[in-house]
Amino acid sequence: MLKILKTEWLKIRNYPAFWLVMLMTALSYPGVNLLFWYQFKEITKKELATGKMVKMLLGNPFAFPETFHTTAFFSSIFVFIPAIVVMLLITNEYTYKTNRQNIIDGWSRNAFILAKFFDVLLITLLVSLLYIVIAYIIGTLATESLASVNIWKGANYIPLFMLQTFSQLSIAFLIGFLVRKAFIALGIFVFYSIILENAAAAIAREKFYDLGRFLPLEISDRLIPVPAFIGRFDEKSYAGKIAAVDTHIVYTIVLTALVWGLVYIVNKRRDL
Amino acid sequence: MSILKIQHIEKSYGKIKALKGVSFDVPEGSVFGILGPNGSGKTTLLSIILDVLKADKGDYLWFGKPGSPEIRKQIGSLLETPNFYHYLSAVNNLKITQSINERGHAADIEAVLRKVKLHERKNSRFSTYSLGMKQRLAVASALLGSPRILVLDEPTNGLDPVGIAEMRELIMELHLQGFTIIMASHLLDEVEKVCTHVAILKTGELVAYGQVDEILVDEDIIEAGAADLEKLATALTHFPGYNKIVRSGSFLHIYFNKGEAKPDEINAYCFRQGIQLYHLVHRKQRLEAKFFELTGN
Repeated sequence: MLKILKTEWLKIRNYPAFWLVMLMTALSYPGVNLLFWYQFKEITKKELATGKMVKMLLGNPFAFPETFHTTAFFSSIFVFIPAIVVMLLITNEYTYKTNRQNIIDGWSRNAFILAKFFDVLLITLLVSLLYIVIAYIIGTLATESLASVNIWKGANYIPLFMLQTFSQLSIAFLIGFLVRKAFIALGIFVFYSIILENAAAAIAREKFYDLGRFLPLEISDRLIPVPAFIGRFDEKSYAGKIAAVDTHIVYTIVLTALVWGLVYIVNKRRDL
Repeated sequence: MSILKIQHIEKSYGKIKALKGVSFDVPEGSVFGILGPNGSGKTTLLSIILDVLKADKGDYLWFGKPGSPEIRKQIGSLLETPNFYHYLSAVNNLKITQSINERGHAADIEAVLRKVKLHERKNSRFSTYSLGMKQRLAVASALLGSPRILVLDEPTNGLDPVGIAEMRELIMELHLQGFTIIMASHLLDEVEKVCTHVAILKTGELVAYGQVDEILVDEDIIEAGAADLEKLATALTHFPGYNKIVRSGSFLHIYFNKGEAKPDEINAYCFRQGIQLYHLVHRKQRLEAKFFELTGN
């Protein structure tokens, strides 16, 4: 296992696109959170009655312990950025036929897929680490009295964020694995994740008994419901979403297992 | 002892049968050439024995055992095009190869790059290499850690004449050191010069297989020349034992069964017929001719 990890590291460490996309991730994840936090501060710092009302109504979504929830939600919007590098790492192998060479040189087909599984896991861990750091820094800056709060109370969103990221990156991997062409895979994932599934989920919510909750990305999207301050506009609906999280943990684990099971079967059977 | 046993391998791509029940053995220490025109199934066969493709039927045994990752680690391979990470240098690509096949030590990377004369460009990205340099890197990758078996698919692809000669010398040198080399090629001259054994494929079928000497000496050929070639041809029609007489440029080729050609008797016969030969050579049939004959080209 360590040999496989070492080999993947040899592939990644001098791959400029990997570091470029990770840099984009490292900029966009804090960027979006800082942007919303700045907006929130701008609104609530006003001495006018509206500012005070907003603060009273919304609380402080960026303070501990809610920061873990709020930053997880905003960060998850940008999952398509690390998804790019996941898809590049697998489609490159097909473009340059290095997947064949890895097998010829002595890896089993399972070892090759295990290596790619580790890639997705590694990127998930890096992205999650970034999210934790952002949540912690913003939480520290936004909390008026750190001594009076349990800062780790909202930390249950850390494993939820990790599971969501891993699941969605696994779907990106599956698309890259099946399509094999980088640009087509990227196009499919971006179109599906940003446009198609959101539209389908919205339509299903209104007309098809909310069946959209079983769509591949929506399943894990529901691990992190909208932040509590947005939920206050419809508290009954928000309570339902929070209650559904446990069920969606199971759905997400099952879906992710199916994704990797499919990858395993296809990889075992198809010619390279 | 055979290091590779191929048994009744079949492979189809849709309706096209790429391999139709191919079987043969590769003896240890041989330089085994797999010959065939384009589309004859050479690369498909090598891909199957390296587990890149799955055979529809039949199997193969390396050292009497089914193929496995552990066995592939002991084989240095070059299949079709050189496959490397374009954004990495030669050294970093070979580090990946070595990390997977676990052959040799870090210092071996430098040694193989020197051997294929790529040492000066060892830190350049693969994407900046010429076709010949890419091919050299692929050969270096196959040689890394000195595996006792090499599988080389068209190893001289993209090499210049000097590179081709060097590759030939390298294969001969490795053969002398006891390596077993399996190489697919369409360069008949190359195979004839370096191979000890050959298998000839035609549209997925094995049409001939054995030692190169055996394959080539099915017929003996006497090449004869005289001032009056018509008179020589007429006279030789009465000579006993020949199979056919074919004019080839300013000479005649007289074909005999293997081992039955006797140049001294032909010379004496012609002299008695009043014909003086100015050219008389005993030739083995060249692989090229045999190849065209067997593959019907």
